[in-house]
Amino acid sequence: MNPDVADAIPRLVEAGVLPPDEAPRLLRAARGELLSVHWELRALLYVGVLLVTGGVGLLVKENLDRIGPVAIALGIGLAAATALGWVIRVAPPFSWREIPWGEVPSPNLAFDYILLLGVLLAAADLAYVEVKFTPLGPNWSWHLLIVAVFAALAAFRFDSRVVFSLALSTFAAWRGVSAARFGTDLWWKGAEDAVRWNAIACGALFAVLGFALKQSGRKAHFEPVAVTLGWLLVLGGLASGMGERVFWWTWTLGLLLAGLGLAAGAFLTRRFPLFAFGVVAAYAALSRLVLESTGDTLGCFWFFITPIPVIVGLILAQRRQKEPA
Amino acid sequence: MTPRMTSADRNGAVRSAATSWRQAGAIDDRALAAIEKAYPDERQGVGLVFRVLLFLFTLISVGGAFGFLVMISDTSRRTDSLPVLLLFFGAGLVIATDFQVTLMLRARGGVEAAMSLAGIGFLAGFAFWICDKDGWKDDHAFAALLLAAAILLAGAAWRWGYPLYAGAAMAAFLWSFVAFPGARLVWIVLPLLMATVLMRLSESPRLPPSHRDSCAFALGVALAGLYTAVHLGSLDSRLLEDWHHGKLPSSAILRGLSMAATALVPVIYLAIGLRSRRYVFLLLGLGTGVASLVTLRYYVHLAPLWVILTLSGAALMAVVLVLRRYLDSGPGRERHGYTAEPLFEEMGRRRMLEAGAAVVSLSPEARPVHEEPKFAGGGGDFGGGGSSSDF
Repeated sequence: MNPDVADAIPRLVEAGVLPPDEAPRLLRAARGELLSVHWELRALLYVGVLLVTGGVGLLVKENLDRIGPVAIALGIGLAAATALGWVIRVAPPFSWREIPWGEVPSPNLAFDYILLLGVLLAAADLAYVEVKFTPLGPNWSWHLLIVAVFAALAAFRFDSRVVFSLALSTFAAWRGVSAARFGTDLWWKGAEDAVRWNAIACGALFAVLGFALKQSGRKAHFEPVAVTLGWLLVLGGLASGMGERVFWWTWTLGLLLAGLGLAAGAFLTRRFPLFAFGVVAAYAALSRLVLESTGDTLGCFWFFITPIPVIVGLILAQRRQKEPA
Repeated sequence: MTPRMTSADRNGAVRSAATSWRQAGAIDDRALAAIEKAYPDERQGVGLVFRVLLFLFTLISVGGAFGFLVMISDTSRRTDSLPVLLLFFGAGLVIATDFQVTLMLRARGGVEAAMSLAGIGFLAGFAFWICDKDGWKDDHAFAALLLAAAILLAGAAWRWGYPLYAGAAMAAFLWSFVAFPGARLVWIVLPLLMATVLMRLSESPRLPPSHRDSCAFALGVALAGLYTAVHLGSLDSRLLEDWHHGKLPSSAILRGLSMAATALVPVIYLAIGLRSRRYVFLLLGLGTGVASLVTLRYYVHLAPLWVILTLSGAALMAVVLVLRRYLDSGPGRERHGYTAEPLFEEMGRRRMLEAGAAVVSLSPEARPVHEEPKFAGGGGDFGGGGSSSDF
């Protein structure tokens, strides 16, 4: 309910600004006589998916002995197949195209959520089969790659950014688990080093993938997902090196340069969330470099003084590239 | 709020609605420009990302300045200088905020919000210090801190038009009673007394939009407090009595009443929300309903947890789809004043829900359904949304 808007609508109609045929509905919404629950229904659907997948996870964990592994694997597989079967039945034909608001139209309110449910159930089933029957043996972490590829295929076929982000995060998890397990070989100094390098490489790969999608004009609306996750991995990987004992400064310098580069590039291309990542990363890295050998008093002084030029810079930057409110 | 701010705030509400109408395709760019000209908003602000960055760096700077002055003060006199610094920083920041908000007409700029938050924090800390120095018990000094915070936050919400502060003020006000006996009774009586007043104020045309929103936030927090006070789990765990080691009589009647209230309060909230289409009640009804169901599962072993989770998830999805169909099948795709179509004035709610879902899953929001860009209530020419025959 918004009395100010309700008050303004008749005046705007009278002034010829608002089309008279739209006014009654706008007025009802402003008076609180008509309420949309569209986004609430979507949120509830999402909660429903999370509850079901959580329940299935507990089922696997708690009822292994009672129900038996084959029954559990078949049950979850059947549920996943049902969800994905419905998705296949109602899905529109595959398309690379983008429609004016950026995506292939979703045929149903529940479509994305049922698809997510199907993919999550299939992933849970695969994980269960791997744990129970160990078909991949010591290379069990490869099942994460299989899930990532499966999710990516589903994401592209059914045009789902939610599932695409699941595919990317599962791929990153595969690299993380693999590196942590095999990181002590001759390539790396230790598991931590291996995970860090893998995170950076994954991040770079995602960023390049996002760039390629945008350049090719195929599923270009997936680009923000890939680029954002990619930069988070790169910056996170570099930031984790700031705690190193010996070569902390190389990682910190890397973070500073990456942060500055990202902030500059994102500012020029008006990618404001990425700009924020870059600014925060660069400031954190610079603070780490400067404060390495200073005491608490100087540290406080640093944090007192240095944000001021940053604030001034941000205000000036905002005036040059107006971010939409 | 000054008259200039009030006028800008009212105009801002119309401009915001017009932006939503434009995004929904109800008006064109020319109409939007005409509305923005007719309803000018002279307040200055920045976009969300810059706002967050400015807020963050302002807080870092203020914290650094305070820490620096504490560090350079004489160690032996630090105890004496701390309250002076708290008062100096608190008062200075509040004055600076007031200058920015009322005279410079800064709104949604980040800097003034960070300064206001830090200023209130320092002044509340000063209040705590006075009570502590005066030999008050820890509980009572903490209650004084919360009461001071509540007064300052309420004042800030009224003066600067920050709705979040109004909710925080109500929370701090209620928590300040926890240090004393009878807190549970206060948590029940106060919200009941205030609910009607706050509800009316949240819709009063006399108040500017920010003040109406402030009342709605305060109402939401008060009603959540009421539910907490009557909740069986909070009664059994002595949640509101533990702080002052107070005693709560073990009474079967009290427990029975609490059980009934745990079940009934969500129903009442939801019923009021559905009947009046008040969003605060709808949201609280759903939230407290889920909490009561979890409580039921905690006390009564109906079935294994995995069964409960799976069935409730499946049931929830089914209910949503049925509800969607029911609403879609009504004349003009609406029933009883509700529609499942995206409507005009809900960008804030949409962002809130999307952000919540994205935070939970660390994933982007699902794509819009294909009828989203334009609401045309004529009915019949929309094919999707589960209303098609092959659904």
